[in-house]
Amino acid sequence: MIVEMSLQLLKHPQMQFGATTFFAKQHKGDTCGSNGLPLTPNSIIIVGRAQILKTFNCKYLCQYLDVIRGKHERTIVVSQYCGEPLVSCIEKRPFDWQEVRQIAFQCIGGLQVLHKKKIIHRTLSNENILLQANNEIKLFNYGLYHMSDAGSLVSFPILHVLYTAPEVFLNGLSNSIADPKCDIWSLGICLAELILNKLLWSSLKLGQRIRKVLSMLQASTSILEKIAREHNCLERYLSIPDDLKDLIEACLNVHPNKRPTCEELLIKPCFDSLKPKDMAEKNEDIYRPFQIFTLHEFYHWWQLAGGDVPQELKKQGLIRSTPPILSIPSLVLIEGTILGQDRNPATLYDPRIVKMPLDTLYQRFAHIPFQVFYPLIHSQSDIIEKSNPPPYDATGLPLIIKERDPEYQLHRVILLRRLLHGYPFTSDLIVDEAKKDIPPLLRGEIWAALLSVRSNYATEYMRIDKYTHTSTDRQIEVDIPRCHQYNELLSSSEGHKKLKRILKAWVYKNSQYVYWQGLDSLTAPFLFLNFNDEAKAFACLSNFVPKFLYNFFLKDNSAVIEEYLCKFSQLIAFHDPQLANHLRDINFYPQLFAIPWFLTLFSHVFPLYKILHLWDKLLLCDSSFPIHIGLSILTQLRDRLLTSGFNECILLFSDLPEVDIEKCVALSSCTYENTPKSITSREHENEVYHKKSNLDITGVSLNELKNELCPRISVRDVANILLKNPHKMLLIDIRNTRAYKRCSVVNSTHIPFSSVSFTENIIENVGRDSDLLKSKGEKIVVVVGDEETDLETFPKFLLQCNISKVCVLHGGFNKFLELPASLSIPCASVGDPSERQRN
Amino acid sequence: MPVEKKDFIYIHDKHGIEYPILIPYDDPIDELAHIILIKNNLPIYKEKELKLHLEEFIQARTTEYYEELSSALVSNAKENKLNLEEIIEDWEKLMGEEVVEFGEKRCASDEELFATAYHKLVHSPALETILQFEHMLSKTIRLKTDEKNNIMKSLSERQNEEMNNAVDRLEQDMTELKINELVAKHYETHSLLQGKLNSEIDTMKEAQRRQYREWIMQMLEENQANSSLPTPSSPNPAPLKEFVSQDSTSSRGHIDTPLLEESFTIHLGSQLKQMHNIRILSANVMELCSVEDNQEMSEPTPQLLQTALGLYSNDLTGLVLMTDNKIGSRLTQEFQEICQRTTEFHFPHIEEQLDKISDIAHQYFRNPHSDTTRNSNSELLQPGDFYITKHSNLEQVHVIFHMVTDDSLRGSNINSRHPVVLGLRHILKIACSNEVTSLTIPLLLQYDMTEEMTMSWCEKRAELVFKCVKGFMIEMASWGGSELKNLQFMLPQGISNTVFTSMTEMLPRIFKMSNPKVLK
Repeated sequence: MIVEMSLQLLKHPQMQFGATTFFAKQHKGDTCGSNGLPLTPNSIIIVGRAQILKTFNCKYLCQYLDVIRGKHERTIVVSQYCGEPLVSCIEKRPFDWQEVRQIAFQCIGGLQVLHKKKIIHRTLSNENILLQANNEIKLFNYGLYHMSDAGSLVSFPILHVLYTAPEVFLNGLSNSIADPKCDIWSLGICLAELILNKLLWSSLKLGQRIRKVLSMLQASTSILEKIAREHNCLERYLSIPDDLKDLIEACLNVHPNKRPTCEELLIKPCFDSLKPKDMAEKNEDIYRPFQIFTLHEFYHWWQLAGGDVPQELKKQGLIRSTPPILSIPSLVLIEGTILGQDRNPATLYDPRIVKMPLDTLYQRFAHIPFQVFYPLIHSQSDIIEKSNPPPYDATGLPLIIKERDPEYQLHRVILLRRLLHGYPFTSDLIVDEAKKDIPPLLRGEIWAALLSVRSNYATEYMRIDKYTHTSTDRQIEVDIPRCHQYNELLSSSEGHKKLKRILKAWVYKNSQYVYWQGLDSLTAPFLFLNFNDEAKAFACLSNFVPKFLYNFFLKDNSAVIEEYLCKFSQLIAFHDPQLANHLRDINFYPQLFAIPWFLTLFSHVFPLYKILHLWDKLLLCDSSFPIHIGLSILTQLRDRLLTSGFNECILLFSDLPEVDIEKCVALSSCTYENTPKSITSREHENEVYHKKSNLDITGVSLNELKNELCPRISVRDVANILLKNPHKMLLIDIRNTRAYKRCSVVNSTHIPFSSVSFTENIIENVGRDSDLLKSKGEKIVVVVGDEETDLETFPKFLLQCNISKVCVLHGGFNKFLELPASLSIPCASVGDPSERQRN
Repeated sequence: MPVEKKDFIYIHDKHGIEYPILIPYDDPIDELAHIILIKNNLPIYKEKELKLHLEEFIQARTTEYYEELSSALVSNAKENKLNLEEIIEDWEKLMGEEVVEFGEKRCASDEELFATAYHKLVHSPALETILQFEHMLSKTIRLKTDEKNNIMKSLSERQNEEMNNAVDRLEQDMTELKINELVAKHYETHSLLQGKLNSEIDTMKEAQRRQYREWIMQMLEENQANSSLPTPSSPNPAPLKEFVSQDSTSSRGHIDTPLLEESFTIHLGSQLKQMHNIRILSANVMELCSVEDNQEMSEPTPQLLQTALGLYSNDLTGLVLMTDNKIGSRLTQEFQEICQRTTEFHFPHIEEQLDKISDIAHQYFRNPHSDTTRNSNSELLQPGDFYITKHSNLEQVHVIFHMVTDDSLRGSNINSRHPVVLGLRHILKIACSNEVTSLTIPLLLQYDMTEEMTMSWCEKRAELVFKCVKGFMIEMASWGGSELKNLQFMLPQGISNTVFTSMTEMLPRIFKMSNPKVLK
């Protein structure tokens, strides 16, 4: 019973979609753009332009879901398709006047939304008006004219002969005017068909139909009457109420400028009875009710459950393939002229719509209980908790599998969209869920939530001047056509335009920084995820940079970068002394390869799909995480690095080899979690995110840092580990015996600095405690000294003996004395050290 | 094409604003309002007022703009000033050319039907039978050709003898006149016999072709009739054995040279990496074309099987051959002979294809085109042009690109703007848009060894070709066609080991080698 209810949810009559396909125009010959780069294929431009259509969510419009690019400029458009086209109702049953009024009202409502967004339908016809079961209508295929840039990106004309306004034909083939008035004419013809209950001129041939449309220009009387006469339904015409007659006549005015606009039509008296009366109806326009799931999500699940649009089109005969060898040309001239190749008839425009079968999805989701669609988030009651179906278990599966499991994604999307709906009050819950994984469909919004984007981001962005020319424009324009261009969205002209606007806005807003090459790559993931919401992409970037790349874009950022790289070297030394020693021996410093890594947070070296997974994790961590990522990349390439000399290393990193990103994420989170925070703490951290006290590391100059091969550790971290996990740490006190005897930490090992010979890198030189160091395992080795001891030689010696996890207590032994009571650690002053050893 | 935009100047009296605006205005009006606000130092509370005013202004100008565009048209049409018939015709033509509904109704052509049938069968258990049958038919032709060659040879020998005798007797009873007559007579008999034999072979091929195509269609029907796949029977399997035994007499010497070849897996692209296979080899290019007809072979070679499977697929194999500016010139003679050695069952015979290409070229050159710099009188091709033939009876290739070259290729100073290099780019483009996914290219742009091929010449040439091809392949990625999976660079047969090694060492310096996956 409950299961059936969930199927009913899925089988909602409007949860259906179909696809159409066409070919974009091929570029002729070998022309280049004004920037000297090859022209963007038209299909990519179309994909970019079509994105905005996906955001339209008006009940009188079919939603656009996807634009897929096939080989050889094929473009497939997926959109909601439900109900029945009016054309198949006409002549089957008469529509009463009130029905016609309602259809007209809703069509105009839909058109008004489009025209406000400067979108011209152009192919409005009774085939593209779909009547729903609830007697409402939806307009279909309204985006073709927009996505093809007024038809200039395709070779076929975008119009529906009978319904096309005469001025469109008059304008000729080559120039197309995007005047919204042509839709009003088409609407007039649609309504005329409805009201006369006749399919107009259905038996005429193409040429005669065009002639008919143009003959309207000569009509001296009412056009509707003329049409009625030609179809022998004058009687019906005479019975039409005046208000409707007036409406249709107004639409069918041959002078486009005298045709009313949507707004003017809506105030016509014939719609008086249809305007929303009560508040509830009006409110619906203001507060959109929360949808349990959206059509976009439904389509996403359908795809995950094996839905394949191109395959379906092939199956249903809309994509026909002829063997390529039959259509190969026979002669190609040096100028690029191709001869002897006939037009492939399969590339003609076929406006048919193929409905997508949904049965596989229904079957896949048939067993899903109803409660899944209404997840409990704040429940504290065990009884309620128990009545919930057991959670879908996908733990332990690789991320890639989880992302492709329709059922798992159903659960995640339902839950996370609810949480996002409650943002910012649900921020903590979103962070918790994001730690498990992030459903790809909602990644853009979740990232924005993780980056604490505020709700007024759109206004802030709107107020930024992105038009005025600045000195960085040239560089931006050079960089953009080279930024992640394998991606369709980012290589489309729409993508270029948006990226440029975001970068200009960033430069405008951050006058303390300079535009740095690489900022484009850094922006790319945000733009990709929020392609239809530039402002959000900008807001994400604006919150991202201070959190992870604080002061990296200063005009003189050398101090920040140098410190960062030093920390990177130290982290390598901390976790992998052998590799660190090797890299130092061959003089292969991070300066030589890691700057672009950190400056673009790997967005310049990895393809987008890898960046997304990497940043999913990064956004949950702090600004030290990138160092760990760097370490994990080195670890993956460890074997090759260890056997390579300087030249091979340089060559290896000049073009980063394939890196397994899942491994990379796992490794870096592992080291991130197992490294005390102070090991990676920096002077140039953003204070907003890293508050510091006297228990943390402060006041280390860059020169000091450069000399230290092993990182420092703060007394806070040492105390914390000693109190919670004393077995994870090995304190080595290298002060002289007198100081040690006076006061020392209980269980610390005393190796006086003067007792060790540093002539050779042999661990046995430290004396009787060398076994302790050799068998220390994963323990952190903290070297404790004071102002009088040399704190560089000993850690360096340990490092060179390949002892891992060596660090130096910042501030020396006396820092222990500053610890507050809550963190105080047992210290003792013992007369005889040997006696204490026994304890 | 969208119509041009128009400049307007927005004026707001109260605040003394003047701002140029292009109509129709596409960017968000909110942002425009803000820019004007900033530029004129107006307080933020003016935002709403300004925005409304701007909206009204833009709306009014846009309506005006469209009105201007269309009202003239409509009134002209009303007054019959426009040629409506012409307009209607234009539209009718465009719709007919571009929209399925109004286009010519067209059934699948014979070619397509046969292609579908063949493709289906070849991917069924019938494959073996088909290849056997093809093999048998081709053997017949080959034997006939050998027979013809033998007859022609003996005729020549006889004539030679006669001629020698005649020349010997020149001093005695022969006159020069008589010798000339003899020559003419010899020539006549020779060409008569050759014509006769050739036409016999052609008739035979024609018959074979018909027989073969009928057989395929028939087999498909059988196949469809009983869904369980029958083991198709070839029509006359008897003669096969007979041929096999005969074959031993006409053995063809095959010199086994040590094969120089090396394969690489490379990747292109800085972030998203695309893998390709590259092979360098030194061999006689005709080995890719000619089918081995070893005497013991009663079975077709495995390469043929591969070629048959791929023929109507989306993975075609292409080869670039070099030729001169005359279509079907003597340079392609060897290649043509290889094509003619067996019956072409799928496509027109090579001469027919070449004739058709000539026709197309002549027709094109006869109508001078404005955008070419060609000499309109010349009907010869230019370096960098290429023509394409398709084949089903070659061993490893389906599509041949015949690239027109000239002597400038022998020089050592060609650069990336050389027409042949540009032609190479076009070849890659055609390959990309026609599903040719494996391609063989002469690395030195020549298949024959010549004396100027010194070490440094070879290195220079190879570097140029490597680099240019790499550039073209990177470009290809954005063309939205099929990608080149296998690329073969061919060196002339008999190139020295040192040159070969130098080429294989150069390749990893130019292309990025892809990392081997190391299993741990």
